[in-house]
Amino acid sequence: MAEKSWLFVIGKIRIYVRKTLAIRYIICYNKKNENIYSVIEMQIEQKMTIQEKLQILTDAAKYDAACTSSGVDRKGKAGSMGNAAACGICHTFASDGRCVSLLKILFTNECVFDCKYCINRASNDVKRAAFTPDEVCTLTMEFYRRNYIEGLFLSSGILKNPNYTMDLLYQTLYKLRTEYHFMGYIHVKAIPGADEELIRRTGFLADRMSVNLELPTGDGLRRLAPHKTRKTILKPMKQIQKGIVNSKNEMTVYQEAPRFVPAGQSTQMIIGATPESDYQIMSVAEALYKNYDLKRVFYSAYVSVNTDAMLPALPDGPPLLREHRLYQADWLLRYYGFEASELLSPDRPNFNVLLDPKCEWAVRHLEYFPVEINRADYQTLLRVPGIGVKSAQRIVRARRSAKLDFEDLKRLGVVLKRAVYFITCMGRMQYRIRLEENSITHNLIHDDRKKLYEMQENESFTQMSLFDDFHLTVPPSVEDGRAAVSGQL
Amino acid sequence: MRIYLCEDSFEGILTAVYDAWAGRLGHDNVRLELQGEYNLELFADYVVVLPDDEKAEKVVRTLRQKLSEEVFEYVYKAAMSQERRKADLIYRFIVLAIQRGARIVSEFGNPVVMDIFELVRNVSNESHLLLGFIRFQELENGVLFAKITPKNYVLTLIAPHFEDRLSGENWVIYDAVHEMAAVHARNTSWVLSREAKMPEKLPESGQEEEYEELWKIFFHTIGIEARKNPKCQRNMLPLWYRKNMLEFENNENC
Repeated sequence: MAEKSWLFVIGKIRIYVRKTLAIRYIICYNKKNENIYSVIEMQIEQKMTIQEKLQILTDAAKYDAACTSSGVDRKGKAGSMGNAAACGICHTFASDGRCVSLLKILFTNECVFDCKYCINRASNDVKRAAFTPDEVCTLTMEFYRRNYIEGLFLSSGILKNPNYTMDLLYQTLYKLRTEYHFMGYIHVKAIPGADEELIRRTGFLADRMSVNLELPTGDGLRRLAPHKTRKTILKPMKQIQKGIVNSKNEMTVYQEAPRFVPAGQSTQMIIGATPESDYQIMSVAEALYKNYDLKRVFYSAYVSVNTDAMLPALPDGPPLLREHRLYQADWLLRYYGFEASELLSPDRPNFNVLLDPKCEWAVRHLEYFPVEINRADYQTLLRVPGIGVKSAQRIVRARRSAKLDFEDLKRLGVVLKRAVYFITCMGRMQYRIRLEENSITHNLIHDDRKKLYEMQENESFTQMSLFDDFHLTVPPSVEDGRAAVSGQL
Repeated sequence: MRIYLCEDSFEGILTAVYDAWAGRLGHDNVRLELQGEYNLELFADYVVVLPDDEKAEKVVRTLRQKLSEEVFEYVYKAAMSQERRKADLIYRFIVLAIQRGARIVSEFGNPVVMDIFELVRNVSNESHLLLGFIRFQELENGVLFAKITPKNYVLTLIAPHFEDRLSGENWVIYDAVHEMAAVHARNTSWVLSREAKMPEKLPESGQEEEYEELWKIFFHTIGIEARKNPKCQRNMLPLWYRKNMLEFENNENC
């Protein structure tokens, strides 16, 4: 039985009928404001193998960026399976180079919402499927004991309504924790618009919860995700934040108190589907870290999966370099003591394509440099390009017992290629370098260009030209040389 | 010059450290080497050291009580390294540590410390990666079996993680390179079995193939085609590790 969908328009009401393998929907909604009037659902007998389901529901979940298993340490317990390591463990790496740590699946890809950028939107004609709670539990347990995964990442399309969906997620997690005695990592989505009590109960079973912000501004949300509003997204986020604080307070009184979302909450923004600048995005991220105590904000380069007049065409593929710069800047906010307003401003709203945000900041603020490695405090060291959190810590430890020189820095893991322009060791720079913005920028970019080129061109192909040497790497042999001289070609 | 030849094991190396120290010949006049490949030197007398638990225990006690747990951890991990020179490096490190005290571990500028630091980093990295990359197969009798081919002696470093995680399972991790195995029976402590030799192929349980198939489906579906980046994948997961991972069978890389 193939999948079919029909659309009827009666006056200003649209009736949308979708028949899938599992369920038939009739969705009536207002053409103008896209309000949904009613959803009628009919069960059709389900015949789909677990292999097919896994394929469909993995495919539908893969666009979510978050896949970390970090943030919580939990010892194993007799009679149950699993533990959690705060550092996070990668179990494999997918073809796009992303770490695979959790079994990332949707409970179902049925969805009554019609977000323009999403592959699972109601108006898309894709194959639909749904797991049962037991199927999710068995898959998780069997994958976990074979050490394929670190835990479960469970998200879902909106089946019927937010409450119904959230309840399904809760039931699954409850089964997994109590019947299957799973103690590994669980990341679950809080469905915007779901009942507070359901989110609260789910939070006591999960390690991390996330509500996707989807788009950086309320305006973008209105245009591309008509069924979601900024308010319905921020409300559960606030609730989870409060829950975490309360739970921590209770822990100080009673050690054995159940823990609410111990690994904290995260969120995700789609980059490049709407016209926001990097400055706007970084400011939103900063506000989320400050006001909502988020552990992570993920940035997901928009992958063009639907064609819609409201969406950008992106002929060059997803904006991966932009995403990369945003992650670099995100790190600067969280671990390096930078503020968004230091990195960007309304009149310089986007990151440099050629320089990473830290280098860019440094060459614009040469008044802080050079920094003396043997004296500068930790916070100052952190701001030097080429010095990371680990190497700054090592410098502070190592210089207690001996003066450090450039050779030592190399061994401590400092990237001298970038750092040399900004540091002195015992009052001396490694080379004679003019502290001048243009020349340093030029040198830094020159070092970086090759890497950048490789990133933009995953598979490089070039136009053939008469003057090309066709990548001949073998130099001509001595015989060839002689033959050429004596004209015996 | 007196050269102490020790067995390639934690006890073996520490016994040699004890003997070399107790020999009172001066630190410059002794050297430690692993048994096996070495070039015989003129004007040197060779002493073969047999591992002695009591002597090793004395050294361990000194490290933990007089210095710190961290120093002990450095020495232990360095002893698990693949580096042939490790016995002598460990000896130099311990000599220096006893002179300088526990703060030795932050003296990154010192070449002796740096050498040990390198070994420790190499061993720690490999064992951390293997925590994720190990793949268990369910055998006919329900035992979970994993084969690894590590460069360093990582077995004792990774087994505690799995004992905690899979306490209710019977499992075996087999190091085919060094022919050792960590064996864990349900709800007991794991034990190390040296000189273990196991066949390449063991009979699998009935449902094993189905879950391997499901895992491959998941793995091949989770990558985003528009973001394909084999170079990044290879940086994160070098080909070296892939030979024991079922999703990369037949050299598949997508």
